[in-house]
Amino acid sequence: MAKQAKEKSIEESFKRLEEISQILDRGDKPIDEQLELFAEGVALAEKCRTYLQQAELKVKALSGDDANLS
Amino acid sequence: MKIPNEARSVSELTEDIRQLLEDDIGEVLVSGEISNFKHHTSGHRYFTLKDDQAQIQCVMWRSRTLAFVPEDGMHVLIGGRLSVYAARGNYQVDCVFMKPEGVGDLYAAFEKLKKELHLRGWFDASRKRALPRFIKTVGVATSPTGAAVRDILSTIQRRLPSVNVVFRPTLVQGVEATDDIVAAINELQRADVDVIIVGRGGGSIEDLWSFNTEAVAAAIHNSTVPVIAAVGHETDTTIADFVADVRAATPTAAAELVTPITRDDLIAAIDSLRNMIIDSMSENIQRLATMAEDFLDGTAARRVSERVMHTAQRIDELQTRLRQAVSGSIGSRQQRLEQLNAHLASLHPHRPLRLGYAIVEREGKALSASQPLQQNDNVNLIRFGERSTATITTTESTQENNG
Repeated sequence: MAKQAKEKSIEESFKRLEEISQILDRGDKPIDEQLELFAEGVALAEKCRTYLQQAELKVKALSGDDANLS
Repeated sequence: MKIPNEARSVSELTEDIRQLLEDDIGEVLVSGEISNFKHHTSGHRYFTLKDDQAQIQCVMWRSRTLAFVPEDGMHVLIGGRLSVYAARGNYQVDCVFMKPEGVGDLYAAFEKLKKELHLRGWFDASRKRALPRFIKTVGVATSPTGAAVRDILSTIQRRLPSVNVVFRPTLVQGVEATDDIVAAINELQRADVDVIIVGRGGGSIEDLWSFNTEAVAAAIHNSTVPVIAAVGHETDTTIADFVADVRAATPTAAAELVTPITRDDLIAAIDSLRNMIIDSMSENIQRLATMAEDFLDGTAARRVSERVMHTAQRIDELQTRLRQAVSGSIGSRQQRLEQLNAHLASLHPHRPLRLGYAIVEREGKALSASQPLQQNDNVNLIRFGERSTATITTTESTQENNG
């Protein structure tokens, strides 16, 4: 389940980053809101980057047990 | 089962087998389909003769003549002898002659099924599903031994290790393979994968035969999840390859298809977005800073006060003009009055008297300029504040012209 949540977040994180980038590019939000978005965007980018860099292939074998074949 | 009491050695047992095959059966005439035909550099020919349930090794020494070129898939009739190869523990047909016998059963069946499924529309391009853009989980159905699974896993590891893999070890050759492949495809669907790779590595054409069955074709056709078939090699395309949504030439190619966006791509895109966010933020802050600076250094304030002063100036001007307009009109009226007064005063008869002039009266009447005086006239001289009497002694006209 936790794995699923992580996986979901790569795609969702990406969409959120694109969203934040577009909003800040327009530059029409009040400054404190912009700062919040900025902080969120940078943190999100860092999180995704780290996750991707550290990801290791996990293989689940369909025979009942969760065997890790690497 | 009646297991004997006395043990034999392997050689002894093999000798029994040899006798059975070489002596008791010996010469054979057998028809079947050629597969895995190899024409060795030595000139000897090695191949397998098979039908849909069994196969047997064959050898045809180079000394035996052949009137045609045998090919895999050909249906042939062979005359020869059984021989047992004790050292390796197998048996083969030592062929004396070989004749072509028309189309092989297996091949015919294959063609028939292919045509049938094509008519049903199972191969239609419009039926083929595109792979999802974001593939989170990949299902793999292939043999646990062999290169296929190794290649798939190492390729995914290299390109995008965050992808989940569900591996369902599958029999891919032999008679039992058909049912196992069907089961594997169904189980992977139930495991909620986004795409299924069905693959096999090396092996000969007869090893692939399960992938030419209707059962496997149906399992792929009915799959709720897109299927990539990495089964056939360049020349032999199986029915599974035709029915699948995507055909990959190799297991590695299949793994590349499920990782269209690599980890490096994603990281580059994330970095790019992050930089855009930072740049936008910088620009926005800079813009605000400039606005604040302008305001603080008085430019804006100055502009405002300039406008105020300008307005005040205009008000002053207007007031002045108004005053001028008002006082101007008053002034001119006064001027006119003074002028009139002066004029009036100049017209007043007494004005000359103030200047010292006298009015001459004769017989009670003031004399006009046209009335000359005469000698002995008795006149009154009226001057300013003085009245006198006088008698004219002498008088004369001084006018040069009548003007």
